[in-house]
Amino acid sequence: MTEKKFDPVIVGFFCNWCTSAAADLAGTSRLHYPASIRPIRVMCSSTVDPVYLVRALQEGADATILGGCHPGDCHYITGNYKARRRVAIVKTVLKSLGFDDTRVLLEWISGSEGPKFARVMNEYTDYIKKRGPSDFKYLDSLGGEKVD
Amino acid sequence: MTENEMLKKFIKDAFEKGLIEAVMAPSATQDSYTYALITKKEDVDKLTPIAPVMQWNGADMIRRITKLKKSERKLLAILRPCESRTYKELVKFNQINPENIIVLTYDCPGTVHARNYKYEPTSSEKLIEEMKSGKISNKIRESCSVCEYPTPIKGVGDIGLGIVNTTEPVFFSLSDKGKEFLAGMGINEGERDDSSWVKLHRDNREKWLKEERITGGRKGLEEFLSSCLNCHNCKDMCPICFCKECFFEDHSVFDYESNKFYNWADDKDGIRLPTDKSLFHVGRLIHMGTSCIGCGLCQQACPMDIPLYRLFGIVGNDLQKVFNYKPGVNDDIPPVMDFREDELHEFEGLFGGEE
Repeated sequence: MTEKKFDPVIVGFFCNWCTSAAADLAGTSRLHYPASIRPIRVMCSSTVDPVYLVRALQEGADATILGGCHPGDCHYITGNYKARRRVAIVKTVLKSLGFDDTRVLLEWISGSEGPKFARVMNEYTDYIKKRGPSDFKYLDSLGGEKVD
Repeated sequence: MTENEMLKKFIKDAFEKGLIEAVMAPSATQDSYTYALITKKEDVDKLTPIAPVMQWNGADMIRRITKLKKSERKLLAILRPCESRTYKELVKFNQINPENIIVLTYDCPGTVHARNYKYEPTSSEKLIEEMKSGKISNKIRESCSVCEYPTPIKGVGDIGLGIVNTTEPVFFSLSDKGKEFLAGMGINEGERDDSSWVKLHRDNREKWLKEERITGGRKGLEEFLSSCLNCHNCKDMCPICFCKECFFEDHSVFDYESNKFYNWADDKDGIRLPTDKSLFHVGRLIHMGTSCIGCGLCQQACPMDIPLYRLFGIVGNDLQKVFNYKPGVNDDIPPVMDFREDELHEFEGLFGGEE
């Protein structure tokens, strides 16, 4: 199983108004981005309870992305500021316990930034490929080798 | 006169002067102490205002009293310093209505683990004696020996009782409400120096924060929680976990078709059941870590003796540092209820906001 090329699973929670629109734009502009991204459209980045992020990591994702509008551009005025605090909490908890906190990514991508969307997804997938499979998904399992 | 007798006299006087109509304070049971609510002066002798055991967090009890409506009678609550900080934190979270409530807190000698007390009873007088001699008792709970604020703080609670570094215990006010109350009682405010008692604990804490940290990611966490029963007692005892419905109690969230389980078992070379054991603790850390007061009741409640306060206290400390927030000691808004427009850029993007 280990000989197989590592193909990461990255779960993306994308806000309806910005990052999801950017994903659409990247698609219609025929920009290439990796199939390892599994997008989930949410109404706002702040609707994502931080536990969803770690839960995705435990259930098998190698990384998660939370995409929202740029600060100041939130459709609900202040949602993305709250999301930022939540991501800060998740990352701090992961780091504090000795997990890899780069497995949670917060990005601001507006609806017009299709190229940025494709670039971020490519870069992040490459980065995760280099890091290897996530340790967190083996929490409470019998498998998994020593990773980061 | 012992501190307990002095406090009882204080309560009786307050009843006589009509300043209070009810008191909430610990009362002895066969093997332990629980909080008791009394409304008559004759019942005061049933109380032990300073108990050697903390079975529940008193602020959680006040939350239950004022859950539906503000306190209709003037209530005097005798709380430990950690409980008074919890009280303050719960007021911020709109879980307690502070109207008509006076909180009295004191220099805390620490508490004994409830189970140890059952088999090896001690008295608060003994603990206070050790405190007066400037020594942290070796009988007290881990969280008490590394307490960051073992004495009353200005602005947290209303009245303080100073016990350390003074021949006679002294009362002092912590708020305007308390000042008025003490004036009504005809008590002169005293002063005492608590810095040495606080320093003892802080030194312990510094060492503890460094030495007891859980590291090693998955391996470290699994080892630490290896005997966890998933009973959720730590959550039930936590005063900050006040949600009516807990994400982790709603089992339908974790309902999956059987194939999901088999697929996980395929992918992960076998899974342990239930699947949300460690996730529960990580999730709880994320939800309440920023407001962890440090009462250590999670650890006391653990039937498997997992030193949970090392998890919640140390990670909580890291979280609170990120937001420069100290729960329950001042009027700052809890991090989960607040935001700034220009902050935390180091958590944006892959390499800390460089774009």
